[in-house]
Amino acid sequence: MSDDTTPRETDGGHATADLPATGDHVHESSHEHGLPPMESIRRWFVTTNHKDVGILYVVTALFFLVFGGVLALLIRVQLLEPGGTILTDAAYNQAVSSHGLLMVFWFLSPFAFGFANYVVPLQIGAKDLAFPRLNALSYWLYLFSGVLFGISFFQGGTFSGGWTMYAPLNVPIYMPNIGATTAILALLMFTASVTVGSVNFLTTIHRMRAPGLTLRRMPLFTWTILLTVWMMLFAFAALLAALIILSSDRILGTVYFAATDAGGSVLWAHLFWFFGHPEVYIVFFPALGAMAEIFQTFTGRRIVGRKWFIAAMVLVALQSFLVWMHHMFLTSINLPVKTLFMATTIGISLPFDLMVFALIYTTIKGRIRFKTPFLFAFGALALFILGGITGVFLGAVVLDFEFRGTYWVVAHFHYVMVGGVTGLVGAIYYWYPKMTGRMYDEFLGKVHFGMYFVGFNLVYFPMFLAWETPRRVFDYPAVFQPWHQLATAGAFLLGASFLVMFYNFYVSLVSGEEAAGDPWRYVTTAEWAVPSPPPLENYPGRPSYDGGSLQFLEDMGPRPSGIAAADGSGETRSDGGVAAVDGALTGESHEESHASIWPFGISVAGFLVLLGLSGLPSGATLYVTLTVAGFGLGLYTLVGMARESQTFHGPSGPFGESWPFARVENTKLGMWFFLASDVVLFGAFIGAYVFIRVAFGWSAWEIVPHDPIPGLMNTYILLTSSFAVVLAMVAAQKGSRNGLVVSLLVTLLLGVGFLGNKGIEWYELYHEGQWLSTSVETSTYFLTTGLHAAHVIVGLVIVCYMLVRAWGGAYLDDDRPVEYFGLYWHFVDIVWLFLFPLFYIL
Amino acid sequence: MNTRLYTVIYGVLFVFATLQVAVEFAGLDYWTAFGVIMALSAVKALLVAAYFQHLRYEPRAITYVVTIGLVAALALTLAAAYSITGT
Repeated sequence: MSDDTTPRETDGGHATADLPATGDHVHESSHEHGLPPMESIRRWFVTTNHKDVGILYVVTALFFLVFGGVLALLIRVQLLEPGGTILTDAAYNQAVSSHGLLMVFWFLSPFAFGFANYVVPLQIGAKDLAFPRLNALSYWLYLFSGVLFGISFFQGGTFSGGWTMYAPLNVPIYMPNIGATTAILALLMFTASVTVGSVNFLTTIHRMRAPGLTLRRMPLFTWTILLTVWMMLFAFAALLAALIILSSDRILGTVYFAATDAGGSVLWAHLFWFFGHPEVYIVFFPALGAMAEIFQTFTGRRIVGRKWFIAAMVLVALQSFLVWMHHMFLTSINLPVKTLFMATTIGISLPFDLMVFALIYTTIKGRIRFKTPFLFAFGALALFILGGITGVFLGAVVLDFEFRGTYWVVAHFHYVMVGGVTGLVGAIYYWYPKMTGRMYDEFLGKVHFGMYFVGFNLVYFPMFLAWETPRRVFDYPAVFQPWHQLATAGAFLLGASFLVMFYNFYVSLVSGEEAAGDPWRYVTTAEWAVPSPPPLENYPGRPSYDGGSLQFLEDMGPRPSGIAAADGSGETRSDGGVAAVDGALTGESHEESHASIWPFGISVAGFLVLLGLSGLPSGATLYVTLTVAGFGLGLYTLVGMARESQTFHGPSGPFGESWPFARVENTKLGMWFFLASDVVLFGAFIGAYVFIRVAFGWSAWEIVPHDPIPGLMNTYILLTSSFAVVLAMVAAQKGSRNGLVVSLLVTLLLGVGFLGNKGIEWYELYHEGQWLSTSVETSTYFLTTGLHAAHVIVGLVIVCYMLVRAWGGAYLDDDRPVEYFGLYWHFVDIVWLFLFPLFYIL
Repeated sequence: MNTRLYTVIYGVLFVFATLQVAVEFAGLDYWTAFGVIMALSAVKALLVAAYFQHLRYEPRAITYVVTIGLVAALALTLAAAYSITGT
């Protein structure tokens, strides 16, 4: 190691000097952490290290790029002439739908999160993410959701109703194939992966920054990831609600979207676009962050108006939840609300103007070095400007009457989305030397850029000119044929450009020049201050920015002086104080763990369950078996992972900056982030109920249960069980094993009682001919209270596990697991407090 | 935290749940009853969150996180429901 106390200028400070690399390659032996070596296949199944997971994400995402790209080429070949025939009608619809779904979900975000996984902990000075095993779980859920999607092609064809999955085309009457259900369930599994990942990144970035690295000084890429995961947490919860309802319509037979009388198709549009518009920024923000980093590095100066750049991004993240109805201008929603959303849509373009000018002005003020990453980042900016301007047309209600459902839309969103991809391709060149320790070939990189940029504009720009071509349809007026042929040629050029990239990366990996810690000379962020690739635990010491620039401290002692608490509470603290809180969880002296097989196992189980569910309505033995086996394996692996918690050590404190959650422990904060997303999940269910009831006629609606009294009994039961959990926590705090066991047992019995009571109620309704598909009233009643009951069941499984452990004397010296379970259980209670009046009384 | 406080809260929750059904049978005008019953639910939820989930004693930032989720859900519910009125 080089001198660890050399001050290093960092982002947030002024980069006036080049960052010296920290030294030669240091390949730390991984064995003592229970992690097999890089060359071992086993390592890649068990690793929980953020850099390994990042590489897995990048490689897997690139596979899906190829998958979606081949589908795109099939589409373009079909369009060489109007009414092409290389694909059948149904196959074309499937190609279009799965191209969109794969690129948006399985390529774009995971590609960005590969870099986020690799770079964010390095940028903030953390050894790993807050919950390393959950990070591996995110990855495996993602991979298996993709496998599930692949399988859907072989179950009578995959989903064929477009990536927006509009109702009522998405219900079994119009799309009966099992594969369509599987594709929906695959997306549901992907959503689970995203939720777990969001919770993890939010906790990590908020809680685990190095001392002195305040949010204000945080690198821009990390900033964009932070805002992305904030949007993801809430947006994907709405998508999860939409997908659960849709799956239920397809598997259980509820009639939410089949409803011909009460707004089924508009309901889908609301749920989908409430997620779908933030999603645009969710996929674009990481690209923007990478672009900002690359602009800084290759212009040799800090971004112009950095503070305002960040403020503009925060504004966009907030505004992104207020524009969704501009996707619905041609539905039956009323004119005032359309006008309102037109205004908010124009409004959201303003912060982007600021960002664009900040980037342009940075190039003017700096001295540009035209390396491959910069070419891609700069190209991305140019493409994004064109995509943005053409989007403003679509934000106007009147113009939308002409443009909706045409290739104008297709061209616009490809300029934006693939504009984002361009930025991320820049990112892979930018971080390639960091991730591999080798330099790519600059000449081939430039060739890639040339082919890419020409190919891109050749495929998408003619779409503006042939904009009257109907979207998703392979027939078009013959007059547009030259434009479409040009686009097809462009598509193949664009595709071929990636072959150059793959070749370049493959050859460079084997025989590329070895890269120093900092191969770019001017850099401002901490990932360049360590060797390429970085050692397993990232830093030669404890990173700190207290002196205004990055330093590595040898000792683990408290910071020299009290630093004002970052949460603004005015109290002062030192890291020693924080250590007392964080260190108590797992002890100070352990080594971090980096290997666990359970995330892989849980994902296999989830995969089996969902594959089984897809064909369950058919009653085939295979599907029933898969479902049962999946649930069995799920229970086994979840218990396995829970038991491993006693020996698996994630990063523990002391951490540096934790604003605004300085006094909350990581696990508790993670639980709260999860619950906040669950609020949106249930909120969207209740929102769907309110929407349908308004569409139906509020007072014409008939409440399904005849009598509120069984509901009231269940309210009593659930309230009492909540109280029992509180008593369990008190007992654990007092060290009373018997009190703890009895309280948990009471909780369990009450929960079972709640389910029993509900079972009797459902049984009676069933025998009166009231079931899931009877009417929209019964559908909403059974599904919403059913989702709640599922939460109760999950809670009871956890109670059973805790009961066994409590019997053995656990939790008495550390009652936090009981407390955190309580947070969940009380939340389930709160949900019921609203479901009870809404579904039983009013 | 003392058990007595928890017990009192539990009692209040129990009574409020009963009140909600009582309001239903009191023969009030529908929307008045609606308002009262939902208000009672809101108070109950606040009590559970503030004391059983001890949000009162946590940094305020956690409350804000949950509130953001709640506001998002309400925005979706209200705007979606409003969007199909008057057409």
